[in-house]
Amino acid sequence: MRTYSSLLFFLIISILAQSCYRMRASKGGGQIKNVPARIMNASDIAVPAGYKIEPVASGLSFPTAAAFDEAGNLYVLEAGYSYGEVWGEPKLLRVDAGGKTTVVAKGPRNGPWSGIAWYNGAFYVAEGGEMEGGRILKITKDGTVTSLISELPSMGDHHTNGPVIKDGYIYFGQGTATNSSVVGPDNAEFGWLLRKKNFHDIPCKDLVLNGQNYTSANPLTDDPNDTATTGAYQSFGTATTPGQIIKGAVPCSGAVMRIPIEGGKPEVVAWGLRNPFGLALSPDGRIFFTENGFDDRGNRPVWGAGDVLWELKNDTWYGWPDYSAGKPIWDDEEFKVPGKEKVKAVLQKHPANPPKPAAIFGVHSSSNGIDFSKTDAFGYKGEAFVAQFGDMAPKTGKVEFPVGFKVVRVDASTGVIKDFAVNRGRRNGPATWLGKGGLERPVSVKFNPEGSVLYVVDFGIVKMTGQGPQPQMNTGTIWKITKQ
Amino acid sequence: MEDHKTVGMKKLLVISGVIAIVNACLISACVVRKAEPLEQKTFIPKNEQIANGERVFMANCQKCHPAGEGGLGPSVNANPAPQFVKRFQMRHGLGVMPSFKKSEISKSDLHDVSKFLHAWKTY
Repeated sequence: MRTYSSLLFFLIISILAQSCYRMRASKGGGQIKNVPARIMNASDIAVPAGYKIEPVASGLSFPTAAAFDEAGNLYVLEAGYSYGEVWGEPKLLRVDAGGKTTVVAKGPRNGPWSGIAWYNGAFYVAEGGEMEGGRILKITKDGTVTSLISELPSMGDHHTNGPVIKDGYIYFGQGTATNSSVVGPDNAEFGWLLRKKNFHDIPCKDLVLNGQNYTSANPLTDDPNDTATTGAYQSFGTATTPGQIIKGAVPCSGAVMRIPIEGGKPEVVAWGLRNPFGLALSPDGRIFFTENGFDDRGNRPVWGAGDVLWELKNDTWYGWPDYSAGKPIWDDEEFKVPGKEKVKAVLQKHPANPPKPAAIFGVHSSSNGIDFSKTDAFGYKGEAFVAQFGDMAPKTGKVEFPVGFKVVRVDASTGVIKDFAVNRGRRNGPATWLGKGGLERPVSVKFNPEGSVLYVVDFGIVKMTGQGPQPQMNTGTIWKITKQ
Repeated sequence: MEDHKTVGMKKLLVISGVIAIVNACLISACVVRKAEPLEQKTFIPKNEQIANGERVFMANCQKCHPAGEGGLGPSVNANPAPQFVKRFQMRHGLGVMPSFKKSEISKSDLHDVSKFLHAWKTY
């Protein structure tokens, strides 16, 4: 009787807890009623004792990354595109004293310009390629733009990212077209499926499918009752069969690739990734990169998948679309969306067992740009600093409280993550959500050449609604953090 | 006329409901942020068990409870339940929280997570 009562008690608590979760509304950081004017108030941000944070530039439109030239001048990218299908002009800006900016170069309607590196007298920029495919650009200080590689498969959910330069090669990330390999109505909400009806993910090497298919509403027809059935690595509305082989190709989606510094054919370094975003060299010369994990959206939603910090290892498969942070997602309650069936594997054979992650970040934290402290002048030498853009709930999945919206530091040898710059308040969240003047959406970080100052690129305000993101131009900021 | 068993069952249901609601209210009402910049001090594990507990927490729990705060899941910093209840919850799951088998988190690691959570909450 006692066992029976205990079981019943636990069952009731369990049902109540689950019901509560499913009944509670999402409380994402972008879920604000109105869009207030951006206020900059450094005292609303907490940094460790002995450090100081202050704004150095503001009024930027979707800034994504920063770099320094050989003289130590600061440059910043404006993306020229944001989720929410807001288009602008991608720009490379020099940031002068007082926060005044000067345009060095502009790009076409093919943003977002998402990452930048300075090397041997030139900038190397990742052009996201939402409209025409991704590119890696070389830009000189006189504004001359040369494309080193083009037509990367970037017209989907995720883009061409990075880059970082090592041993004469440009390493860059290439995100996937979809959340979890199956094109669905969520991709129409992003906008791209209506433009590129045949676009889908491309594996780097041959894969064998198990024939899992997903039936959804068909956003490509006017009939609200029309449905379509879609399998992995296929155009929307194309089903798959068990044992079907998907031919690999390069360039591919969901990979870290590299090209020679002077341009040339891409080589795959790592694959089986979802959205490798920020790449950086550690003090001992290894490349680490962040990966944005699965969302709870689309035909094959995945719950509880954290973002990841990985060490880049040659010729390695990292697990997408059937693993999250090295763990299998199929038939596992950990990754099952509450109230839905467990996730099924889409691959019949997995190319390998994925490696162990260096660290696992918050689910939906959008852990993006990364840099390493290389000196005692700043402290935390050898640790990675990661900018967390913050959740995009409810479109990417529900959260109980805002996730991200801060800068964290990571000991890549232990996986221990600590907050480094975070807004003050009763809860964590972006400045607009808290009604304050601190960090909004940190998207990347960059140390100055001396390694003594950390610059934080803050994308600005992105309001989230049930219909999607509403990014606000002219609300981006650059912050700098110095050790006193 | 209700028999003894039915009355007992009703009592159990009422008590369970009250406990669940009080627990949920306590968790949502108490907000404990322990981030180092807010505390203006550094968390240094005092022994290897706490250090191991921190690593295990980071590999398994941090993604839903970053820095012990709410995120995808509720705050664990604010959870007033005793550590043995939290260990039971980790091992068996609760509601949408998944369970962690012994092959995922060993008994010894589970106790280390408890030690870490206590140390983190009180540093």
